[in-house]
Amino acid sequence: MTQEYVNDIADFISGYVSHMLGAGVHTSRVVRNSKRIGEALGTDVRIHTSQKTATLTVCEKGGKTMSTRVLDIPGLPISFEWNADLSALSWAAYDNDMSLDAIRHKFEEIVAKPKMNPWFVLFMAALANASFCRLFGGDIWAMLIVFTSTLVGFFTRQHLTRRGVNHYIVFIVSAFVASLCASSALALGLNTAEIALATSVLYLVPGVPLINGVIDITDGHIQIGISRLVNALMLIVCIAIGMSATLMLVKDSLL
Amino acid sequence: MEVFWNSIAEYNAQTWPWQLAFIAVAALFTVLLWVKPMTWVKIATKVLMVLEALWIAFVYYMKFAGGRDYSNVMTIFWCLVAAAWVYDLATHFSSFQKSGKYRPWGVLMILLPLVYPLISLFRGMTFPQMTTPMLPSAVALYMLGMLMAFNRKINFFAFIFIVHWAVIAISKIVLFNIPEDTLLAAACLPAMFIFFKEAVDSSAEEVGSKPSKPAVKALILAVTVLIGACMVIEYV
Repeated sequence: MTQEYVNDIADFISGYVSHMLGAGVHTSRVVRNSKRIGEALGTDVRIHTSQKTATLTVCEKGGKTMSTRVLDIPGLPISFEWNADLSALSWAAYDNDMSLDAIRHKFEEIVAKPKMNPWFVLFMAALANASFCRLFGGDIWAMLIVFTSTLVGFFTRQHLTRRGVNHYIVFIVSAFVASLCASSALALGLNTAEIALATSVLYLVPGVPLINGVIDITDGHIQIGISRLVNALMLIVCIAIGMSATLMLVKDSLL
Repeated sequence: MEVFWNSIAEYNAQTWPWQLAFIAVAALFTVLLWVKPMTWVKIATKVLMVLEALWIAFVYYMKFAGGRDYSNVMTIFWCLVAAAWVYDLATHFSSFQKSGKYRPWGVLMILLPLVYPLISLFRGMTFPQMTTPMLPSAVALYMLGMLMAFNRKINFFAFIFIVHWAVIAISKIVLFNIPEDTLLAAACLPAMFIFFKEAVDSSAEEVGSKPSKPAVKALILAVTVLIGACMVIEYV
């Protein structure tokens, strides 16, 4: 196995790792899949991960040729599709003895797949939040109000994110706008107005980082697990700040 | 309900000259935008939108409707509508240019606020305890009409706030016996479909995205019909 070939494998796996970690896959799966691809190509892969960077070494099996890469983890949108497809790719590489070129070609096909339409995401998030409201006991008026409140909040989030605003500020503003719109249910005297208010910000809850953080810690990846939990906690604090601003204005009648 | 109508009566009795002034200025700017859309007219119209939203927030809700429960919520909400137009002024989010599409629909929606007092008179109500074009839903309808008539590039923030207000308005029909608000709800649903459909069609970033544009538009249509059905079911 030549040094150049091991370098190529290291380059490919570093791209694979950064895409998976960036797309919100938990660490042990990323490590497992990367090792599987390395195994399929006749190499050992060792990975160290943190919140923003990862280090990996690819080493020829039974040989001394090795290559190390330090890579940045990009902030990609969370994608369950990438999670599933990239995991399946590692199995395909292992089961079918695919060449590096074939694996790379397949990888590029997967990451080049079209992204979700933002208008579709906007409507689905609003529908999902209205459904949450129903699950928590909201009536049809509360659901409608949560639906439109989420439209406003999520549109604000998309717009500010596109303009490159700091994501903590985006969370605060989005939570404030959505909860303030939902608080209009109070003025109408709806029976389930408080449910509408409480569920209006649920679309912001960072579920994936929370789950990944817990899984990482239980799998022994303590450092990145805590990093992910702290990151999720910061976002939850931002939601709380936005919602508290609304509650102070509305419930404590600061105006 | 009595508090609600009494606050409207007091508001109309004390502010009718101001209301007439607002309507006259709005009519003037609308005609100017239609026949001679100069930059200063576009800016002045956005400033008018800000002033109308602030008027509803502070004069209507804070001063005259202050006796209603949680009227401060509505004050803040209309401040957000004003903020959406201020943001528009700063970033030129909307262009107030005609696209040639849906023109009759836009004209009809601009004129609909004038129908509010007619419906009240038809219901046997008398001044000052009646609806006017300077009540919140009528103002929202005027803003929606302006967005529809000059829809080449619209202020989406203001539009979504108006959609939210339409949902509130439909519940007020039942809770406060104000059937005039049916106008806003009836105008808002088609507008919701049209604006989102146009946004899906025209936005460049959705090229090559999924699901396909027809599928997204079908979803928007389904959601619009669903909201309409919910409103009808609850109203009936």
